[in-house]
This record gives sequence, structure tokens and C-alpha cells, in this order.
Amino acid sequence: MSVQTRGRRRRWHEARILLVLIAIALVFEAIGWSVRGDSFLFNSQRLLVMVLQVSIVGLLAIGVTQVIITGGIDLSSGSIVALSAMIAASLAQTSGNARAVFPALTDLPFIVPVLAGIATGAAAGAINGALIAFTAIPPFIATLGMMVTARGLARYYTRGQPISLLSDTYTRIGEGALPVLIFVAAAIIFYIALRYTRYGKFTYAIGANPQAARVSGIDVGRHLVLVYIIAGCLSGLGGVVTSARAASGQAGMGMSYELDAIAAAVIGGTSLAGGIGRISGTVIGTIILGVMTSGFTFIGFDAYIQDIVKGVVIVLAVVADQYRQRKRRTA
Amino acid sequence: MRRSHLVLLLLATCVAAAVACSAPRSRATTTIGVSMAYFDDNWLSILRDAMVEHGRTLPDVQLQFDDAQGDVGKQLSQIQNFIAQGVSAIVVNTVDSAATPKMTRLARDAGVPLVYVNRTPSDATLPDKVVFVGSDEIQGGTLEMEELARQMNYQGNVAIMVGELATHGARFRTKATEDVIAKYPRMKIVEKQVGNWQRERGLDLMNNWLTAGRSINAVASNNDEMAIGAIMAMQQAGLPPGKILVGGVDATPDALAEVAKGAMAVTVFQNARGQGVGAVDAAVKLAKGEHVDSFVWVPFELVTKSNYQSFLKR
Repeated sequence: MSVQTRGRRRRWHEARILLVLIAIALVFEAIGWSVRGDSFLFNSQRLLVMVLQVSIVGLLAIGVTQVIITGGIDLSSGSIVALSAMIAASLAQTSGNARAVFPALTDLPFIVPVLAGIATGAAAGAINGALIAFTAIPPFIATLGMMVTARGLARYYTRGQPISLLSDTYTRIGEGALPVLIFVAAAIIFYIALRYTRYGKFTYAIGANPQAARVSGIDVGRHLVLVYIIAGCLSGLGGVVTSARAASGQAGMGMSYELDAIAAAVIGGTSLAGGIGRISGTVIGTIILGVMTSGFTFIGFDAYIQDIVKGVVIVLAVVADQYRQRKRRTA
Repeated sequence: MRRSHLVLLLLATCVAAAVACSAPRSRATTTIGVSMAYFDDNWLSILRDAMVEHGRTLPDVQLQFDDAQGDVGKQLSQIQNFIAQGVSAIVVNTVDSAATPKMTRLARDAGVPLVYVNRTPSDATLPDKVVFVGSDEIQGGTLEMEELARQMNYQGNVAIMVGELATHGARFRTKATEDVIAKYPRMKIVEKQVGNWQRERGLDLMNNWLTAGRSINAVASNNDEMAIGAIMAMQQAGLPPGKILVGGVDATPDALAEVAKGAMAVTVFQNARGQGVGAVDAAVKLAKGEHVDSFVWVPFELVTKSNYQSFLKR
């Protein structure tokens, strides 16, 4: 198979996910007219909300896509959201606050909590990456450990107390369309990084065949650590945006976001076997999750059935992924 | 050979650690094991703090806390561990009220007194030495919705934000809300969705509802966090505070601040401190062999702009 035909096949696949997205949206459009007598899609405010409510999951999905491309997995992203949300929120409190975590550290410029949140994510990612690259621990177990530990740390940090009364400059990060812009900006940066830079080539090479990557001179260990740090930074950023949006830090934040993020990546065509996946697909996968959430709410779907349908859609996407891979191998 | 040594060493370490951990506890005459549904829930952490503070004031009483992290199985194991450890009494804040008959049976078989706090057990009757300290969820939901209805002049559209499905509070507060609305012919439920108790989910739900264009006159939320999410969504959409009446339950500090601003129409104070202190007292009494009534009710109290100030310090 030449490089050119493979490229064409990938593009064709992206188009197919886009068709799935459009099909789901049209189903809600049709039901919307019959149940609500109103359009689902022709409402700019709702289109924004669809993406807004998944923009944090989207940030995690961009990170986990890169991790999955290397042949790994990241189960810790949701917990890292909670930990960095707590740490960032504790540094974003206003003065004269009776419930300040650090009474001496209030009214800091908003960049301090933002950087602290991202740095928290980076540190957690570095530990994930180091464990995976330099010990024989499989990524599933290493990040599972981080998932439990980071959630525990988030709870321990204030003994479970939520943190509120955050400064206006900080909460502005979560207002309006800004979370969507942050998500889109991150998507563009890593779309380019994966497609056009050495970083991207190495990432795909390691996922496709780590042995070959090593032989051809890539420092596989160092690169893996880098990929997990990037995923951690994105989770940390997700924690910052979440706490800004809710104007509070709570240890229960980001619960099971890691699974939504993995689902978004897989729906978007990232293969859990490694070596295959694109940010553009992940973005579409994320939006599919958002459209389903908004759609269910729009048509007033019974809450008890929503998760069942969501689960079925995710499994169908993985089944399609497996089928595609088998076809490729035999082709 | 070498492996068996390793196993022995491991076992020895475990035993040593267990002895080291349990040594200080044995000094207290009354040890009470407490299994909480969640450590990180805003309201439950007030309840837990009240228990910790009250426990400190009682000589010879030691409280040992475990976090069930919302997992019924984990909670059952914690209760079994408490029993095996020989605690004088157990306090349980249940993850799922449906599992309480099993917990009741475990405690009764072992002869250990059991106190359910906050979340109502589903047992039809509680045996001797098993009691419930808490508030009636139906009363909480009814107070909230009756006050919202009054402020709406008993007419208009209501949207309901439901807590985590399958929890006692979500089921009963929602049922109470629906029952109140059913009483008034000019009121209607137009939306009802799950927000999992969380502020961000409340924000997302309200965003979606606002874009759906159907008129909503009031949002009745199962708790304050989701209600605050709804208020934030209204702010971001440029709606003036109070345009849509928002009601919650819990009267958390954050919610009281919203009531003060006039953004939240009503919340309901569930006396965390009263429940925590009541639960510890009941456990201590039962451990001493004294009698405690099967149900110790701590009433809900209505909070509006006219009286919120008296709740700020509670």
C-alpha cells in the first residue's frame, strides 16, 4: 500500500465520522420537530452550548489521543482535573475570605493559579510517563494508580472541603465561549504538532512499532515521558477551566471524564492498538458526545435511558474500529 | 524457597503495621466506626466536621472515619471491618438506602449498635439498637417547592434538576417537588433532567434549557450546587437575577451568598451539625446500653432572603 492511498483512506474515514455526527444531529433535528416543534440545530446559542459542555472532556481527549497513538492509555486525566482544579482554585481566592485555603496568598494575578494548575497536571503526567517508560509497568496500571492517587490527593488537599469565592479575573476563563476557544486552540496546536513536526512522527512511529522506532534512533523513553507530560498539562488546563467555569474547586470534579475522553478519541477513529489516530477525528468524536447530551436534554429523553444509548453508541464505534483494522490487515 | 521468605516478610510487615495502627485506638474506651458515603461532598463534609468536633468534646470516645466513595460494596466491607475490629458502635451514612437491610442484619448479628445518619434506611422497621438520625427528605422537597410555588403565585412552568439517580435524596426530593406541583392546576413541569448534584452539570443543563426556548418560570433543584449552576448559566446568558426563580436544598455557604444577592429564591437548611451531633450522641448512648428511639428527626428549615442571615453562622 503506498503512502498516498493510505492517506486517502484516512481522509475517507474522517469524512465517515463527520457523516455519523451529521446523522446523529439530523435524528435529533427530526425528533425535535415532532416533540418540540422547534429546530435542534438552527440555534446558534445551542450550537455553542453543545461544544461548551464538552470542551473540558475535549481537552483531555486531545491528550489521551496522543497517548493512545503511542500504544498507551491514560486513565488518570479525570482525577488530574480534580487535583489541578483544587490547587488552582486555592490560589485564585479573593482576599477577606473567611474560607481561604491560604489566607496569605489571596488576590494573586490570575496567571498564578492557571500556571499552578497546568504544572500540577504536568507533574502528574511526568510521573505517569516515567513509570511507563522506565519500569515495566503497563500504562493501564500506571495511570490507574495515578487515577486513584490524584483523586485521593484532591480530597486530602482540603479534607474534602470545596473551595469557592474565586477572583473575577480567574472565573472569566470559564465564561462565555472561552472554554470552547481554549479547546479549539489546543486542537489546532496538536493537530499541527502530530501532522507536521518531528514530535508527531516519533509519536506515530513508537505506536506503530516501538522496536523499530528504537532501532531507528528515537529515544523512546524520553519521548513517552514527553507525551504523558503533554497529556497531563492538558488535563491540568482542563482542571483550571472547570474550576473557573464553576467558580469553585471541588474534589469530585472530572469524575469519569477520562472515560468520556477515551470514548471521544475512539469514536473519532483512534485505534487502541496504537499508531493510528488524528486530532481532527477526536474533535468530531468529542462533538458527537456533546450533541448527544444536548439532544437528549432537548427532546426531554428519560434520564434513565440516556446512559444506555450513549454506551451503545460508544461500543458501536469501537466495533467499527475493529472491523476497519481487520480489513486493513487483510488488504 | 526465596519466594516463601518474601511472603513471610510481607505478612510480618502487614501484621506489624496493623499492630502499630491499632495500638493507639485501644486506649479509648468507646470506639465508634463511621462510614461516610463521600468525603468530598460539600454538605457531607459539614456533617463529618460536626461529628469530629463533637467527638473531641467527649472524653474516652474515639471516632474512626472511612470513605465509601459512593460504593455500596466498599461500604459493606467497611462495616464488616468495623465489626471485626470490635468497635463499640457504628455510624453509617449510606451510599444507597436500598442496601441498609443487609447492614442492619450484619450489625444485629454481631450485636453492635448501628446508627444511620442523614440518609434514611429502607428497612420497614428498625430492630433494637439500630436507629436513624436525620431529616425527612420529603419534607425538604416539599418546603422548597411550596415556597417556590408561593413566589410564583401558584402558576407557571417548572424545570426540575434531579440529583444522582438511585439516591434516596434525589428520589424523594423529586417526588415531593412533583407532588406539590400536581396540587396546583396552573403549574406544570416542563423539564426534568439529571445533574448528578454537580454545579457544572447544573450549568450545562440550564444552558441547554435556555436555548430550547421554552418558557421556564422556576427551577427546582434537588440541591444547592446544581441550583448555583443554573444561576451561573442565567448570569452568563444576561438574564437579571431572580428572572427565573431558583430553589435548592442544603443552605451551603455558597447558596446563602446567592440568596443574599437575590439570585436564589429559596433553599432549605438541612441541619448538618444537628444530624452529626445527634448521630454521635445516639451511638455513644447505644454503646452504653441506653435506649434510643428508632427515629431521631432533625427538621428541615426554610431559608429565604428574609431570614438567611440567621443561617450564616450555622
